[in-house]
Amino acid sequence: MIRTEGLTRRFGPRVAVDGLDLDVPRGEVFGFLGPNGAGKTTTIRMLAALIAPTGGSAMVAGHRLGSASREIRRRVGVLTETPGLYRRLSARDNLLFFARLYPVREPERQVERYLRMFELWDRRDEPAGSFSKGMRQKLAIARALLHEPEILFLDEPTAGLDPEAAKTVRELIATLRSKERTIFLCTHNLDEADRLCDRIGLFRTRMLAVGAPAALKAEMYGRRTVVHLASQSPGIERALDLPFVTKVERLDDRLIVSLADPDAENPPLVRRLVELGAEVRFVNELRVPLEDLYLDLMEDRDATT
Amino acid sequence: MRRLRVLLLKEWRESLRNKMVVFGVVLLPLFLVGVSVYMLALAEGMDDPVGSIVLFNTSLMYFLILPTIIPLAIAVYSIVGEKEQTTLEPLLATPISDLELFLGKALASVIPAVVVDWLSFGLFLGATRIVVGAVPLQALTAPWLASIFGLSPLLALFSVGVTMLVSSRASDARAAYQFSSFAILPGLIPLIVYSSRQTLVDVRLVVLEGGILVVVCSFVLYLAIRVFRREQILTRWK
Repeated sequence: MIRTEGLTRRFGPRVAVDGLDLDVPRGEVFGFLGPNGAGKTTTIRMLAALIAPTGGSAMVAGHRLGSASREIRRRVGVLTETPGLYRRLSARDNLLFFARLYPVREPERQVERYLRMFELWDRRDEPAGSFSKGMRQKLAIARALLHEPEILFLDEPTAGLDPEAAKTVRELIATLRSKERTIFLCTHNLDEADRLCDRIGLFRTRMLAVGAPAALKAEMYGRRTVVHLASQSPGIERALDLPFVTKVERLDDRLIVSLADPDAENPPLVRRLVELGAEVRFVNELRVPLEDLYLDLMEDRDATT
Repeated sequence: MRRLRVLLLKEWRESLRNKMVVFGVVLLPLFLVGVSVYMLALAEGMDDPVGSIVLFNTSLMYFLILPTIIPLAIAVYSIVGEKEQTTLEPLLATPISDLELFLGKALASVIPAVVVDWLSFGLFLGATRIVVGAVPLQALTAPWLASIFGLSPLLALFSVGVTMLVSSRASDARAAYQFSSFAILPGLIPLIVYSSRQTLVDVRLVVLEGGILVVVCSFVLYLAIRVFRREQILTRWK
């Protein structure tokens, strides 16, 4: 659905996006993560045919960037960083205006459908300026969806929302995924990216890493199993002599065991610990927060530059 | 064309909800018509037909100034307002073309300016006839009519072009309004020439002024169209 090759954007001597290679298939939720000023918004603007790249090429929704900008804009929806609503116009007029700019059949019915979906129908005639932040964001998302785009670019969709509104937005993204929409999600909320995205890309002017969150974490830190023991069982970590165990660390009544394939290796691990006299309370996988991966990769990039 | 119409209707719907714009577009012409007719009535009371005609000519000047003032309010709020509300990017993300966007913004200001100017001119003539009588209307010559009906759209276009250029660099409406007001002064120079000649307005002068305005408008609109490109708006505008 989105394929870029060496996509580059310069502003004078400054390089905002440097040789981006990316392939996002249909129906994927792709998280595009990076610090402020990393070039995320510039990338979205290029992919949404708002600004032209200065190098490289890209195909978006089956159309080549640069030669079919209008066609691309018809097929993508963009939620910008700020909701950007006409404050003096009602919620309904805001959506109707945008619906009529796209080739939407029966704009009024489509607007009603989305206003009802986002529970804004009862307040359809009130000016958007009187809405709470969460309602404005919902209205902006509805606007991005009105023309049923194949690709949805979401720039910080939950920024500044209260937990309840943020949850609504996350649930909506999950619903859209199930409808085979491709979603390109920029967010600083790493927990949100971890939960929602099929794959993430860590970006800072250039792509630092791409993959499924779990795969990236496993690649960076390996997979680790935490064994919770009922008693201290002193010295048991030294006695653990299994060939597939690469490292064992002790933390109070827990053992943190590095394994290549926990799904296959956990059962023999637990069996061996019991044989060694350990009382195993329960076992779980050590979950590394995406934040650790993000910060480590950004630190590496800082050290490199 | 469909998108242009959609944009125009949105612009007007939004303008009608903006008190500052409504004030500029409706109250100012009404005020000028009211003051002009009142002054003519005073002159009539003093039994001074020459004075009436001079005053009438001066009043006609207002209808050449109005088309430069009215679009200011609409254009400033329609461009700087989009910036302030951060609505430009979502608008640019739609399939609307750069030209449609430019024309939509420009015509949304020019059309009401010209219509209000001509309506208030008609109101002025009607009120003068009723309140003062037919004498001052003798000064309403063909060159004056040609000025008001032929030059008003060009003056409005010039004003809008300048306002669009200024608004692209301004981040708040007040500053844009002030700078645009200064920028339209060169467009008023022919009017000053008129006022110094009073009743001597002739067709040659109207044609000359029209020709100059066409050239100047073309240049200003050319610059405005260059500024009104997606890439420029997203990367260069304040």
